[in-house]
Amino acid sequence: MNSVKIKVDRLTAYYSEKAAITDISIEFPERAVSAIIGPSGCGKSTLIRCLNRMHETVARTRVEGQVFLDAEDIYELDPVRVRRRIGMVFQKPNPFVTMSIYNNVSAALRFNGRPSREETDRQVVRSLQQAALWEEVKDRIDAPAVSLSGGQQQRLCIARALAVEPEVLLMDEPCSALDPIATAKIEDLIKRLKEEYTLIIVTHNMQQAARVADYTAFMYLGKLIEFGPTEELFERPKDSLTEAYITGRFG
Amino acid sequence: MRPFDRYARRKLLSRIIAVLTGLCVLAVLYPLVSIVYESFVQGGAVLFQAQFLTTVQPLPCSAISCKTVGIGPAVQGTLIVVGLASGISVPVGVLAAIFASEYRARGLGRAISFTADVLTGVPSIIMGAFIYGYFVIYYPQIALSFYTGALALSAIMIPIVVRTTEEALRVVPNSIREAALALGISKWKATLRIVLVASIPGVATGVLLAVMRAAGEAAPLLFTLGYSTLWFQGMNQQGASLPLLIYTFALSEAANQQKVAWGATLFLLILILAVNVVSRLAIHRMRVRMGGV
Amino acid sequence: MNADPLADTGRPRGYDLEVRQLKARAVAMGEWALGMVHDGWRAFNAGDFTAAQAVLDRGDELDRLDEDIEHAAIAFLVLRQPTAVDLRTATGLLKITTHLDRIGRLGFDMARITTAGPSKGPADLRAVLERMDTAVELMVRQCLEALGHDRSDLARELFHKDDEVDQLHREANRIVLRELSAKTNNTPRIADSLLVARHFERIADNACKVGEKTVYALTGQRRSEYLPRHRYQPYALETPAPMSKTADNQPPS
Repeated sequence: MNSVKIKVDRLTAYYSEKAAITDISIEFPERAVSAIIGPSGCGKSTLIRCLNRMHETVARTRVEGQVFLDAEDIYELDPVRVRRRIGMVFQKPNPFVTMSIYNNVSAALRFNGRPSREETDRQVVRSLQQAALWEEVKDRIDAPAVSLSGGQQQRLCIARALAVEPEVLLMDEPCSALDPIATAKIEDLIKRLKEEYTLIIVTHNMQQAARVADYTAFMYLGKLIEFGPTEELFERPKDSLTEAYITGRFG
Repeated sequence: MRPFDRYARRKLLSRIIAVLTGLCVLAVLYPLVSIVYESFVQGGAVLFQAQFLTTVQPLPCSAISCKTVGIGPAVQGTLIVVGLASGISVPVGVLAAIFASEYRARGLGRAISFTADVLTGVPSIIMGAFIYGYFVIYYPQIALSFYTGALALSAIMIPIVVRTTEEALRVVPNSIREAALALGISKWKATLRIVLVASIPGVATGVLLAVMRAAGEAAPLLFTLGYSTLWFQGMNQQGASLPLLIYTFALSEAANQQKVAWGATLFLLILILAVNVVSRLAIHRMRVRMGGV
Repeated sequence: MNADPLADTGRPRGYDLEVRQLKARAVAMGEWALGMVHDGWRAFNAGDFTAAQAVLDRGDELDRLDEDIEHAAIAFLVLRQPTAVDLRTATGLLKITTHLDRIGRLGFDMARITTAGPSKGPADLRAVLERMDTAVELMVRQCLEALGHDRSDLARELFHKDDEVDQLHREANRIVLRELSAKTNNTPRIADSLLVARHFERIADNACKVGEKTVYALTGQRRSEYLPRHRYQPYALETPAPMSKTADNQPPS
């Protein structure tokens, strides 16, 4: 059993005065893939957006409770630094449209200090290799990012997030905008990335959670219902609500 | 004999509407076309003389064959005052728009937006009168100068720049901002180096609109830049400008000056058209290279 | 949209219908197998060849039922990709049909070893075998009831009934040994009776296994989680439990 990388302690997050998630406590293990599943509106996206302090970038939001990254409360650290340690990939691929592939991957590096050209080159190649995109773009690395297909763009976004060398990677439904082949490539990527990074993935696709995740959490109406090893949750869930959801008997 | 069925009736109605809308288009185009046509007819001969742009305006002269020489100082004056006004209004407008758009939660942002909206409706002569009035009280020695002229034009340009920049920023999808923030890039860097860069075509279009508007305004310059027929004398002096030259010469009784006014009109028209076309081409190419934001 | 998702709306949800159909098929196969056991024993006991033949002719249908359920369960697994209770039920049914098939096969075999004429063996042996038949048929009925009506409690009870059948089996063994050492003329018949007793014991065991898989399908519990651990010993070392009186009121010898 791996040690705990992110510990969420009684977290409640509000949009205006309405609580989107309530009293969530969960421990995400290190170097493992944790998936969060649940019906629409259950708060899964809100939860992971609290983990890298993106929730507060929206107006009139509030957070109660604590989130620990290796025993440091991230709400007491500089948010910009937190987001360099906890990266995020979004549902719809969002490369910087005005930039080339190279510039996209190196964006964070260039904006946050001035590494040398060789150092940046090296990081870009490494990140693209990690994201399994290098072979496909190595001949056109200065081409505009928008010239890539949807699946490639998503891998570009992953490379861009990895270039910062985060410890944790959050993924908000990373494959929902992609076709099955692109999805399969990203799932393979996820399985390889977990050797180095801790991954937390929100997905509405239960089969995907079953395929890639070591641990799965089920949320409903803003509460955490169950969290455990994926196999157990899908073969023999402890909570009847979980069972009703995963067997399609909801509502 | 075939009955007059529904289908035939519908087709006829369609055709009638099409004709009506076509006529409306013509009605709208007519003034524009006739202005251009008239300008060419009246001013063409004058404009295409040698040295039209480089010599000074002629003195009034009654006979038709009097010398009709150039509008040089006016062109120079317009370029200077519009240039200075742009230098003021573009940075101020763009930054204000960034604040209004990216930091919208604060009430000040909404106030800026609202103010800009209102100001675009204020008649430009009032801007000029306001600037003049203020300077006449506090700095009378430069009340009529390039400085105040530029300020008056800025007062017109800034609201336009603010509104169009704000729009251009709004069009940038929020996902870009989120992507930048999620990478651990600070908000101001993300705004300036990513969001603003992504919206440059829109911003450029807005600046272009503002510049063209300013280049053609006569009323605000009336009390600020003043009137002159001489080449540039100094920033704190009055100066010549194209719109005011056209205004003055068009009302003159001297035939040669009237001709010069038409020439200047044609020149202004062609200038604006040329700037428009070139800028839009450049902006379009920018957009294509960026992949269509 | 915030109605309780667990509330019973009266309408079937998820894969309810398909799962119920799968279970119904398994129960039907179980009843076919039970019929073979019942009629196989009757044929053997009465020495009736016609009755025995009728049982033997039912073997093909048993196979067909088994294959059909297997196909249906696999199709359900691949097409619906079920989880939790549905998954456990589908995989459980694949094993349950194996046990039901064995039950049917044992009845088949009883018919197969039928010899002519009613048994002339010792009355107490016949009585024991009758009791075994009653007990075993009851167990098979009960496991089918548990499967068809989602009764995990009935399934759990089967293990206790199994003990009773074990006792009867040991009793039958003792009688047979007694008869063999008495060297009567009935050896072939005695040998067959021993086999039949053995078959009954196997049938009871298979019925228990069906119950076990039913409990797993319904609750996810495995046997070790609800049965106390039983330490088995060779029969020779066990002290025989006192037997209840037989039907004709003779105490066992």
